[in-house]
Amino acid sequence: MTDRSTEPGDELTPGADETTLEAAPDGGVADAETVDQPVVNPTADEPDLDRGLIAAWAAKMITNPDRAYRASFYVATIFFLVTTLFPFYWLFVVAVTPRNNLSEVGVFIPAGFNPAAFIEVFTTLPFHRYVFNSFLIATIATVAVLLVGSLAGYVFGRLRFRGRNVMLLLVLVTSFFPPAAFFIPLNRLFNTNVDVLRPLLSAGSLYNTPYAIFIPLSAIFLPLSIFILMTFYSQIPDGLEDAARVEGTTRIGALFRVIVPLSAPGVATAGVLTFISVYNEYFFSSLMTDGRPGSWAPMLEGILRFQGEFEVLYNLMAAASIVAVLPVAILVVVAQEKIVSGLTTGAVKE
Amino acid sequence: MSTDTRADEGGSLLARPLNWLETQSEEVYAYVLLTPAFALLALVAFYPLIETFRFSLLADAVASADPFGEFIGLGNYVDLLTADTNFTQQFISVTLTDSFPFVAFGAPFLQQAIFVTLAFAILSVLFETTIGFGQALVLDQDFYGRRWVRVSIIIPWAIPIVIQGMIFFLIFNPTIGFGTEFMQWLGVFGNNPLSSSTDSFLIVLVADIWKTTAFMALLILAGLQSIDRGLYDVAEVSGASPWQRFRYITLPLVAPALLVAMLFRTMDAMRIYGLIDATAGCETVPSLTCLVIIALQNSRRWATASAVAFLTAVVISGFVVVYLIALRNSEGGVA
Repeated sequence: MTDRSTEPGDELTPGADETTLEAAPDGGVADAETVDQPVVNPTADEPDLDRGLIAAWAAKMITNPDRAYRASFYVATIFFLVTTLFPFYWLFVVAVTPRNNLSEVGVFIPAGFNPAAFIEVFTTLPFHRYVFNSFLIATIATVAVLLVGSLAGYVFGRLRFRGRNVMLLLVLVTSFFPPAAFFIPLNRLFNTNVDVLRPLLSAGSLYNTPYAIFIPLSAIFLPLSIFILMTFYSQIPDGLEDAARVEGTTRIGALFRVIVPLSAPGVATAGVLTFISVYNEYFFSSLMTDGRPGSWAPMLEGILRFQGEFEVLYNLMAAASIVAVLPVAILVVVAQEKIVSGLTTGAVKE
Repeated sequence: MSTDTRADEGGSLLARPLNWLETQSEEVYAYVLLTPAFALLALVAFYPLIETFRFSLLADAVASADPFGEFIGLGNYVDLLTADTNFTQQFISVTLTDSFPFVAFGAPFLQQAIFVTLAFAILSVLFETTIGFGQALVLDQDFYGRRWVRVSIIIPWAIPIVIQGMIFFLIFNPTIGFGTEFMQWLGVFGNNPLSSSTDSFLIVLVADIWKTTAFMALLILAGLQSIDRGLYDVAEVSGASPWQRFRYITLPLVAPALLVAMLFRTMDAMRIYGLIDATAGCETVPSLTCLVIIALQNSRRWATASAVAFLTAVVISGFVVVYLIALRNSEGGVA
């Protein structure tokens, strides 16, 4: 086994260090296309040596390291797939197991089959209302972020003015701080009764309204969108904007009629990321309402509510989780390119 | 652009401000457009941050209607850091402190929280970077079905924190989950891992690695794909093994992207709250943000909570500064 690998190594790579040894047949040959020839020859006399199955496999790996790398690539891919997807499968296993059999639930097979859990989720609690609340909050926040972020992204991406870098840094800094550092004053602010709001909101305070969640979340996820939009807007050629201005639109008109439509992929990216982030958020979502569906409590309160007073409804928790994860899962499948490009531009731009 | 004299067709309510905007210089226009963004940030970030700091300088007033007492300067911070307050005994049972092997016996709650937060941040970022690098190398290859592999690697990143918590809560639930049995078989966990600090810390760590590795993988992948493929051809021709190609081409060229990704993840990891709240609970694995919420809700110590919140911000800023310096040294700076 070892002589097989050292033999070509001795001939071909005089200056080999410890790593070139195993790569010798591949590395010693100048043209990548001819790599196969020297590999075929040593393997031809393989049966003579009468190796065991594993030894033969190992020898093959050593004489042809590319093969070993490809094998490890497949092993890694399968490993990653299993580790990321298995928890979802197991969630499904728990969800379809009838409640009485839950202690016998296995790792791979459910103990019984009870798809009715997916209907029970909505009858035990108004879970659809919780999901609707989350959807509404995420949608409003996305629209607000895109609108405000478009203006700011346009300014940072296309205009030159004094204080630009300082202001950009200020935006960046806000995304560094933990939400906990903002929470106490905001909680106080949203709990104070403002008489002006009385006609609009029954209690006169923002607590237990969608505003209490989407206002902080819009601000917290605004910096990322500003960076994404800034990148996309700065890539539109100046000539297009000038042409629109000559044609007679206003400055704002040029932004929303030319720049934004031309940067549609960027806008979609920022929108998808904001929606997912707001939908997934935990801190403000769990603290800004009292948890009742009528108080605009988001989906997370619904899932936690299945830990009822008398009995923890594990199978319903699992079923509710699957129901609530579907929208984002679909969004990921549909918009994965956007997510990837958004996360990376957001980070590369710092 | 600044000498624009065109008049908007009047009539609408918007026409006047729009016309006014047309006559202003580019600089004024920039400031006007930035107003909504900065108004929002001021309301939600700048003003609360200053208020948090101001609150943290006041005394706790647990019994009165207004939760803040008189001005006591840095007293809250001094009490927190020296653990002079009975903050510790207030919400943490003695058994918990005993069974927590990482910190000294009877360590004050805040020190535990700082320790838990830092340990969590460092360990999770370390593991996520390593595994994320592996995922990025897989995603960087061209193979059939790559799109679907990428989708399934991203999906954990996109799921709500509460569901992530729920999954691991169920897996490590002693009656229904398989996780406890498995870990006991390995000899690591006790009977009820979700009520033991050490075991819960590991669960939270694994849950976080499961979810956020994808984020690291995507950022590293972006770095990988910006590498000039010609370099690999040159290396291959001159006889470099795949490992050498990785060591001398991939790693140095991907380092800046790697550092940026680690910076983002560290900041994020230090805010950990939701995952803990949804699995083990804040009393079992106290992170800094958990401490803020505990002080607020369990004992109505608003001023102490503010001090902890501001301290969290300071600790995170410290980390950010360290990273930025490292980044500047490594690649002549970004941005």
